[in-house]
Amino acid sequence: MTNRSSAAGTSWRAGFKVGAGLAAGAFALAVSFGAFAVTHGWPAGLTILMSLLVFSGSAQFALVTTLTGGGMLPAVASAALMNLRFVPMAAATASSLPGGPLRRAMEGQAVVDGSWVSAHRPDGTTDREKMLAATLVQWPAWVLGTALGALAVPSTDFIEAVGLDLIFPGFFLVLLIDSLTESVRLIPVALAAAAIASLSCRFLPTGVALLLASVAALSALRRPPEPSAGESTGGRP
Amino acid sequence: MTSMYVAVAALAIINIVYKAAGPAILGDHEFSARTHAVLNALPVALLSGLIVVDLLGPKWSDADWTMVPGLLTVAIVRIRRAPDLVCILAGVAVTAGLRALT
Repeated sequence: MTNRSSAAGTSWRAGFKVGAGLAAGAFALAVSFGAFAVTHGWPAGLTILMSLLVFSGSAQFALVTTLTGGGMLPAVASAALMNLRFVPMAAATASSLPGGPLRRAMEGQAVVDGSWVSAHRPDGTTDREKMLAATLVQWPAWVLGTALGALAVPSTDFIEAVGLDLIFPGFFLVLLIDSLTESVRLIPVALAAAAIASLSCRFLPTGVALLLASVAALSALRRPPEPSAGESTGGRP
Repeated sequence: MTSMYVAVAALAIINIVYKAAGPAILGDHEFSARTHAVLNALPVALLSGLIVVDLLGPKWSDADWTMVPGLLTVAIVRIRRAPDLVCILAGVAVTAGLRALT
């Protein structure tokens, strides 16, 4: 028991440590998300509430981008598709979470990209304490960063002059490059999705364009998956 | 405005259900290799589409060429394994520099 609790203590500390690093990146991204949403016509309060409830950079960015281009259903659908990866990721933690279904469902809420990856053990189990600790540090950083960006929102002219509008696409490009260097066979999927998105957003609402781009993922059915196919793509929120 | 609130509520609920479903119901359910392949490809397709949609905007109304060299810089610096913030700052500097010059 002593051994177990000291191991758990080490895991909590490791989780807080890795979480602090992830939180710094999440905070910077959240500041630009807050400013991005408000300059796209979202009320500051709702923007902060979204970060509090959704806590997922890529899905929140997708929602703001696509809802601005019109169409609520395609906007929600594309954001929901973006987060579909959480289903298998959370399922993979099931055997490492204690208690009944309700408690496991609650603890499963701690699954976010960075925490999940850092708590994922080579044998496929999850270091529960490490995951919880890493998420507990990132969540307030994400919400506070959003609040700062949404409330102290700089003018659009200032944002463009200093190139801050590049932060979001730049951050997602970093995630994309990381995914592609991990799985080179997905490069055609990325190129096809970019082509579909650019053509369709010329004529269709942006949410529909993003949904159509996701169809490119189906081409992965044609090739046998690599041994590392169970790994998550991407790294952070 | 109402649609924004509904969209946020819907996304929040969907997100909670996603993360609860596995631990509460599916347990250690093994997804098939083909399902895994599509689930792994999905974020790549969506990230790629999202970057393009953000750059071009509705009906290509946001298209701005200065973003392209900035993003190329981000990609090159990342491939050379620089940390996140360094990549973003390099890209921001290129785009801001080009805007100052033009």
